Order: sequence, then C-alpha cells, then structure tokens
Amino acid sequence: MRNSINFFLFCLVSFLFFSCKDKPVPPVDKDYVDITVQPIYNGQNLLMDSIYVTQEGYKIKITDLKFYVTSLQNGGTNLSQASLFDYRETGTTLLHQEADYLKFGSLQGILGVDTTLNHDDPSAFPTASPLNISNAGTMHWGWNPGYIFISIEGKADTLFDGIDNLDHNFSFHIGTDLYLQSLSFSSISWQQISAHQHTFALKLDVYNIFCNPIQAIDLRLEYLAHSSGSQAALTQKFGHNFKSSLTPY
Amino acid sequence: MKYCLFFFGAFILFSCNKDNVHYDPRPYALEIPSHFPQMVMPIDNPLTDEGVELGRYLFYEKKLSGDNTMSCATCHSPQNSFSDSNKFSVGIDGIQGTRQSMALINLGWDDYFFWDGRASSLENQILGPIPNPIEMHQSWKDAVSKLSADMTYRNRFFRAFGTSNIDSTQVAKAIAQFLRTMVSSNSKYDVMYKYINGQSLSSNESQILATVDAEEWAGYDLFKSLNGADCFHCHNGPLMRVKKFSNNGLDAVITDLGRGGVTGNSNDIGKFKVPTLRNIALTGPYMHDGRFASLDEVIEQYSTGVHPSLTIDPLIEYANQGGVQLDAQEKLLLKKFLMTLTDLEFVNNPKFKDPN
Repeated sequence: MRNSINFFLFCLVSFLFFSCKDKPVPPVDKDYVDITVQPIYNGQNLLMDSIYVTQEGYKIKITDLKFYVTSLQNGGTNLSQASLFDYRETGTTLLHQEADYLKFGSLQGILGVDTTLNHDDPSAFPTASPLNISNAGTMHWGWNPGYIFISIEGKADTLFDGIDNLDHNFSFHIGTDLYLQSLSFSSISWQQISAHQHTFALKLDVYNIFCNPIQAIDLRLEYLAHSSGSQAALTQKFGHNFKSSLTPY
Repeated sequence: MKYCLFFFGAFILFSCNKDNVHYDPRPYALEIPSHFPQMVMPIDNPLTDEGVELGRYLFYEKKLSGDNTMSCATCHSPQNSFSDSNKFSVGIDGIQGTRQSMALINLGWDDYFFWDGRASSLENQILGPIPNPIEMHQSWKDAVSKLSADMTYRNRFFRAFGTSNIDSTQVAKAIAQFLRTMVSSNSKYDVMYKYINGQSLSSNESQILATVDAEEWAGYDLFKSLNGADCFHCHNGPLMRVKKFSNNGLDAVITDLGRGGVTGNSNDIGKFKVPTLRNIALTGPYMHDGRFASLDEVIEQYSTGVHPSLTIDPLIEYANQGGVQLDAQEKLLLKKFLMTLTDLEFVNNPKFKDPN
C-alpha cells in the first residue's frame, strides 16, 4: 500500500513538473529587404583598382567609392534612417533591413545625409549606425561639420605619353547641405531571393558619371571637388551626374 | 578510524589551497568621454576590475621576455605616451626591429593593429611580440611557465578568469583589457573639438577653452583647410585618425610593402595604418620607420617632400607639386595646433603606471 502511494505521488509530481514546462514556440521567420548597388563601367561590373578608359582616352582606376542614403521611406513609412554604401569594404550591399517589402512599392530618400542628421554629434549615433563616427571613418568632415555624401577617389593617366603611371589623383567629395539631392524610385520590382528576403537592385554607371553625354567631367582639368564655394560648379555637376547614374538594374 | 582519515585528508586538501581566492569578477566601469563613440567590447573578453589589474601587472612584467629584461612598457614607455623614443626598438638579443613602435592610445576603438594591420584584434596583437625573436624572444610555453610558478600571478589569474591554469590567451586578454582602459581625452584639442561641435563644456573645460590662443585656432583652421595643410582627411574626429591604410607619399620607390605584405594586393603596397595624432608631440620619432625625429621634419615632409607613386593616397592632393607648400608662418601655426593634442593627464594617469 505504501509503495502504491509513493508511486502515485511520484507520478503526480512528474506530471505537474512536465505540464508546467513551456511549450516550444515555433520560430517566426522575419522578412528582410535588401537594396544592392552594382557599380558598372561600360556595361561591365566595375572592379576596384582595375584600369578603365574614359571617352577622352584617359586611363583611370577607382580606389574608393562610397555614398550615403538617408531617410528612406515610402509615404511616411520608414525603411531606414541611414545607409552607407562602401564598395570596397561591403561590396554591393546598400541596405539589409528587417522589413516587409510589400510596404515599399515606392521609395523616397535623400542622397547624402539629411540636414536633420548632418550636423549631429557623430559620436552620439548608436554604435551600429553608419553615421557613428567609428563607421563613418573618412566620410565625416571635421570642418563642415557634417558628412561627405558621396566620395569617389581614384587615379588617372591623362598624359598620352605611353607610360601608364596613373599618378594623377582625382578626388570628388560631395557634401554640405547645399548639395543634398532627393531620390525617388516608383513601381519597385522587388526580387524574391529566399522565402523571407526580397531585393531591390540598383546599378551605378560610373562611366556615365565621368562621360555624361550632357555634362562630362574632364579628369585632366576637373579632378578635385570638396564642395567649397570655388568648386561649386564642379561639385554640382558631379552630384547631378552621380544621381542620374544611379538607376534600377 | 575511517572518520579520522577523512578529516585528516580534508585538512590536508584545504590547507594546500593557495589563498582564500574567489572568482567573482566585477565589471570595470570604463568612462567613455562624451565626445567619443562607444567602445565595442569583444564578447569573450569583457572588462573586469580583476582583468584590468592583471593586465596592468603583465604590461610591466619583464618575465614575459626571454631574459627577464623587457616588458611591453620597454618599447611603449609612459614617458613617451606609450611609444618608443628610439627610431627602432631593440629586442633582448640586441636585434633592431624594422618599424617604429606605435603609441598605445585609445586602442579600444581600433579594428586592426601593427603598422600593416596584420592583427585584427588587440588580443591577437598581444600574442605577437613575446615569441618574436627580435623582440621579447620567449616561447609562450616558457612565459606561461614563469607566470605559473608565481603564486601571486596564479591568484590574479584565478580572480580574473576563474582558473590558475594560465595560458597565452588569458595573458593576451588581460593585457588587452588594460590597454582598452587607456583612454586619452583630456587635451586642449578635446575642448576645442567639443566647442566646435556645440557640446556642453564643464567649467574647467571652459577655462581651458579660454586659454586657446589665436595661433592655436589658426593652426586648427590650417589643419582642416583644403587649401592649407589638408591634414583632416586622414586625421579627424575625437580619435584624430580615420580607419584606413594609406601611402602618404614618403618614397618614390617603396621598399617596405606595408599593408601590401599582408594582403598580397599590389594596390596596398606602401600603405600603412593611419595613426592617431593624439600626443603627437610626445611620440616621436615619426612614420612607420621613424625617419623623422621632429614635428618640424614631419610638417616639412607634407609641405614639400611628398613623392608620387603608384599607390599614393588620392587624398594627398598636392602630391604632384611635392606637398601643400606651407610657408614658415603656416608651419609654425600648424605645429602650435599639433601641440594642443598633448594630453598630460593621460601620460601621468596613475592607473596606467607600473604597479610595482
């Protein structure tokens, strides 16, 4: 009798113990959206440090290609505060964000760093933010103060002397509130790349930046722009060429 | 009889226990300056009081070298803002290195270490100099053996890591913890930076700001000016550096591959880690090979001595004319500004000094 009572108590306790255990919750798959940018040159994927030729016949190579896009949203539905494209360091990824692509049939944003963010303390942004000075690196200007919105650096050989020394530096740093530009993409065709991931692919036609049919940039004469007053014309030209070269792929 | 043996055994066992040492590490309260970004800590090596204390002892520990004559501090001396006043450091066998010892300042914000960036963490960096035959020249096995023979160290390791089975990883972690606490943020420049960026100043900082003279401000303007010294492209922000490798035009013919020797990429040849300019007046000689003994020589280099080469940084915008062509007055102003980067509180901080 005593053994039966003990056995009963054991079973009761075991039941209570296991019945209280949390039931496993099936994992919820999150939806992600990616925005990618593939730099191209004359229809081919651009490779950093590789030599290309401009319409003038100059040999050039790109050593740095970065830009910010901020305040990405669709009609008030925010997608991202800030994204930094850095072709050398992070490849073609502009944005990888948890979001439902269905809410972003169109996108509007700023090419550069929105005025409301551009003058904030760069150390105060969250550690993961591309605007945090640890992540911004060379893209923050101490003197502006604010961010470089677009940075393209490289080397060119503008002398037709048969010597490929590519020792002529060029550097385009577009910044300051005056040169912010809006971006808008409508009727976006999101590509599904996995069950919970969709991608919007853009391309950046670097050839078109320098060899734009309306306003080309002659790297022999126009190789430096830091958005200062004396460089306003070139800064504006470069900025416009860059924006017009960033299109859906 | 059995009870007697049991109690006797227990007595022997517990009487052999080293000290009454507990493993109960307390998080180290690292104060991040208000104008600095947050420091990202490695998950597997959080700062603790015990770890930092151990790291400090190890930083000054000469047993880490083969003949017990060198510690980390030998080539990273507090008097030189934790750098070496020699062009090249000399190891225990009298062999000279080939690169200048870098200053240890604000390393908690860096992502790669050594002039060529071959170490991707502070912990990895620390593993290098001890077995290096031209530096401390001692196997890790021997270094650990020496530390293990010292009960004080066994206790310190136990308090920091919960084990007295010392290994190289724990040594590296402890020193890394100590180095992460070495934050420099109290120079005149810090006050100027906070003022320029609209950050609130304490009354003490306001007093310091009032001492910044016109020449120092003019030097700062030159430092930031595109048509002036144009230094800010690579040295800016509170950390006074950007994260990149750069060929700054020292040589037309490059003999030290620098970053290129690590990556094997010809586009990286002659590039080196951009160092901070904090405490620059205290950390000479300058450049990766210590070729310049004084700040005047450095300023002259950027003014007239730049050599174009295949991998020269495009940000050295006046390379083709030899540099930024500062006149004598501009050089003086620039130097005055560079002196504002001196942080004596950092150098004299008792927490960073030899605990022995």
